[in-house]
Amino acid sequence: MTLKREVYRAFEDIVGPEYISEDPAVLDSYIYPLNGPAIHLGPYYNVYTPRGEAVLLPGTTEEVQKIVLICNKYRVKLKASSTFWSVQGFPSNDNTIQLDMRRMNRILEIDDKNQFAIIEPGVIGAVLQAEAMKKGLNTHIIGAGSSCSSLAGATSYSGVGPDCLFMGSSNENLLGLEWVMPTGDIVRAGSLGSGIGWFCGEGPGPGIRGIIRGAYGARGAMGVFTKCALKLYPWPGPSALPIEGTIPAYRAALPRNFKGYTLAFPDWKAWADACYGIWDAEIGYIAHRQFNFLGRDLKAAMVRILTDPTKTLYDLETLLKDPEVQALTEEMKRDFQIVMAGMTMRDIEWQDKALDEILAKTGGWKVEAMNEPQISNWSLLYLIRLGHKNLNLVYSGGYDGCFGFLGPPDVGTTYVEDGAEFTKSWESKGAMVDAGGDNMMGGIGGIGGGGNCMWENFTHFDPHDQQSTEGTYDYFEACSYQFAAERGLPPGMERKQAVSTGADGKQTPKEERQRALLASPQPEVYRYQNKIKEILDPNNLGDGYYLTLDEN
Amino acid sequence: MSLQDYQVEMERCSQCSYCWWIPLDQIKSLRFARGCPSVTFNHFNSYSARGKYAVALSLLKGKSQYTPQVLDIVYKCQTCGSCDIACKVCRYNLEPLETILELRAKLVEDGQLLPAHLPIIESLSQEYNMVQGPHAERGKWAEGLSVKNISEGQEAEVVFFAGCKYSYDESLQKNIRSAITLIQKAGVDIGVMAQNETCCGGRAYQMGYRKEFKSCADKIIKTLEKSKTKKIVTSCADCYHSFKRLYPKIGLDIEVLHTVEYIESLSMEGKISYKNPIDMTVTYHDPCHLGRLGEPYIPWSGAEKKVRNQIVVYEPKKPRNNGALGIYDPPRRMLQSIPGLNLVEMERNREYAWCCGAGGGVREAYPEFSQWTASERVEEAKSTGAEAIVSACPWCERNLIDAVSGMGEKLKVYDIIELISLAT
Repeated sequence: MTLKREVYRAFEDIVGPEYISEDPAVLDSYIYPLNGPAIHLGPYYNVYTPRGEAVLLPGTTEEVQKIVLICNKYRVKLKASSTFWSVQGFPSNDNTIQLDMRRMNRILEIDDKNQFAIIEPGVIGAVLQAEAMKKGLNTHIIGAGSSCSSLAGATSYSGVGPDCLFMGSSNENLLGLEWVMPTGDIVRAGSLGSGIGWFCGEGPGPGIRGIIRGAYGARGAMGVFTKCALKLYPWPGPSALPIEGTIPAYRAALPRNFKGYTLAFPDWKAWADACYGIWDAEIGYIAHRQFNFLGRDLKAAMVRILTDPTKTLYDLETLLKDPEVQALTEEMKRDFQIVMAGMTMRDIEWQDKALDEILAKTGGWKVEAMNEPQISNWSLLYLIRLGHKNLNLVYSGGYDGCFGFLGPPDVGTTYVEDGAEFTKSWESKGAMVDAGGDNMMGGIGGIGGGGNCMWENFTHFDPHDQQSTEGTYDYFEACSYQFAAERGLPPGMERKQAVSTGADGKQTPKEERQRALLASPQPEVYRYQNKIKEILDPNNLGDGYYLTLDEN
Repeated sequence: MSLQDYQVEMERCSQCSYCWWIPLDQIKSLRFARGCPSVTFNHFNSYSARGKYAVALSLLKGKSQYTPQVLDIVYKCQTCGSCDIACKVCRYNLEPLETILELRAKLVEDGQLLPAHLPIIESLSQEYNMVQGPHAERGKWAEGLSVKNISEGQEAEVVFFAGCKYSYDESLQKNIRSAITLIQKAGVDIGVMAQNETCCGGRAYQMGYRKEFKSCADKIIKTLEKSKTKKIVTSCADCYHSFKRLYPKIGLDIEVLHTVEYIESLSMEGKISYKNPIDMTVTYHDPCHLGRLGEPYIPWSGAEKKVRNQIVVYEPKKPRNNGALGIYDPPRRMLQSIPGLNLVEMERNREYAWCCGAGGGVREAYPEFSQWTASERVEEAKSTGAEAIVSACPWCERNLIDAVSGMGEKLKVYDIIELISLAT
């Protein structure tokens, strides 16, 4: 389907001819493969999201508003995205225009006194962090990495990451907000709505965080977010990261008030107890089981490759035979990484001491080979900037996460070995990378400690290879309907988006969505959301990522 | 290789958009965070490496056809390789720049040509240069220099290759004349090809004209083989890249050096010394084809294989070409050796330097985009507080001079040899 000429012209009049295209090749650079990263459905081989009718690049909130009004007038759906990282940023229906928000890429203000930044959608985590550090502040960066839009994580998706322990998740950091509703009205939320600044998300003024994002975000299905303020946190480090080393093994030697360790434990109970100990002691700046996404059996060898510019994946097999690497692999079986930042030298000394006590109590230890300065400085930079998260795709270009044991440390650790055995049996079939079964990574708790650890089991496959993709699909089916079902668990994150997008890349048929939502523990939530959608999006411009259930 | 051979890469692209930026670890500000001039100027994702993978896949699958916008996407790119470096921070089995060059070659093969490129290619076939100058004037730059002409049978230890830009841009020729004088003063027996020099073909290669490149290369290789010279030195980063990285694939076996490498080696041997102070703060611009694309050529022939079921590796081990081994330090060491000179770095430097905007046929076909790219570099140089920007390539120098002039700025633009000459 092609836009009617009068509709196209109306859009063109708003953004100007240089910022709109309906060229088929251009539109095909705005579709997404259903075997792409972290789609949490499928994966499906050689299936793409539907081609949009046009791509528009608005430059201002006013332009966005005018576009949305035209969409309402002509009943054209819309989907906005900023950095286009995964499937939910792409249309799932025909008759949809795409808004590429990258022209709106300003940092409008960094208020260092009140510790927040006001940003537009095109600002990515790495940029915001670099600017915040100049003022002694830092920003939360989502787990997908610092190439992603900070606004998108805060307004529209889950937004967790390794630094949640100190800086919270994106939804916790969302303050004042400017939102072009699906009706075209502009809402200024939180304290901004009272005209008194951006400093608070809930008021005085309209508090709409629950409506527009809830815990998980509307994933681009509910209007367009054009500006927001994000809370910033103290950064007791240099005003710019002191990068050294040869590409890709960049590293940063930080002052003595920073410590970065890989910790390991004799058993999973000790691992979980250490998490509780860290929370009780209120230490840590970043804490995450990060490098295990490379696979329990491969991570030690992969760290050698990633920190040595002369090495490539070709060296992997040789390294895996190296007795030193083998010993390290065994030592790091049950590990996580922690970065501690002392606001003073006394603070870091205290934190270090507290950590040593926790390790003594749990029987854990600092993995010496990972704490050797070159590797430790690489790891520090990696965790602070999260600028290497494309390593998720390092093996052959495809990965997705499954399970997702979201809960206190006991939940993940209860299932980790069981899940690893299950995964290992599937890895042996050949469709997925043989990484050791336990490829689980995730954060160590939320802000201030406590709360959730998130365990995502990485599954690496070759998206170019039909058998690999389909074999991975079979494994994910088994995760949901065998592993989870046998243990009384719901399907995991491998099916998180499946209720919104189907096997053909289009919005899941309504009957199917309704069936899935009816089976959820609290279907009334989706009935309530349906009422919200009827009011806020009367012409149904958004897609199935805003989950709704009919009254009957 | 054909474009079809790169389909596997198109389907393995991470969709991460690292190619839009400099390596994320190196980002120091909002202002200078971008790496790819093409997507930064043109905005649509289609202009990034990620987008070009998608456009190429769409064309290969017959889902879209050649249109003016497709040509714009493919040709409005300096092929500077910034995307390639950023991608390879994490990916070990993708070659975005190779794919982009292959896509161009496919367009040329299919007759999808840019009108603005045609006179240049015609100049290449008629006058053997890319700047539409008369071949008869090719060697004029060397008039008055007492230098051997190897194409007339004289033998020399080293041959100096001027390149098209220096051969015809009179205001820049002082640089290569100085280079020759410096090298001769160091006691080196140096020759030139003079009027018989022809284009290296590198720019034609970047523009997608593979046959024309091959014909240029064959001519030069023949001349060099006849001369029995074992070392070729050039002050042009494009020519350097051609000789260093492209020619070995078709049989050139000769030592290739950029002037900065050669003069530095002569100064390390004590044959050149920097005595005269230059009281100036300067910043150095890494030319793409000397820096990230100027790595040594390591021959490789092999095939993809999978280990641990699905990990894609290459047998035998394949060189990465991720910019790690480019020529970055010799020019910096030379500048730092000049008494009184203060070298400051721009935010984007070495393997993640911002392009000058001249390459890939962009200067000729898209002057506005080319000058915008250069003006971004000028702004970045200004932000360091430097009084001058120094480079080591005539294409960079010309584009930066034009940008400074267009912007009404006072920043000085130098080729590094000009400063070295003043200091010796």
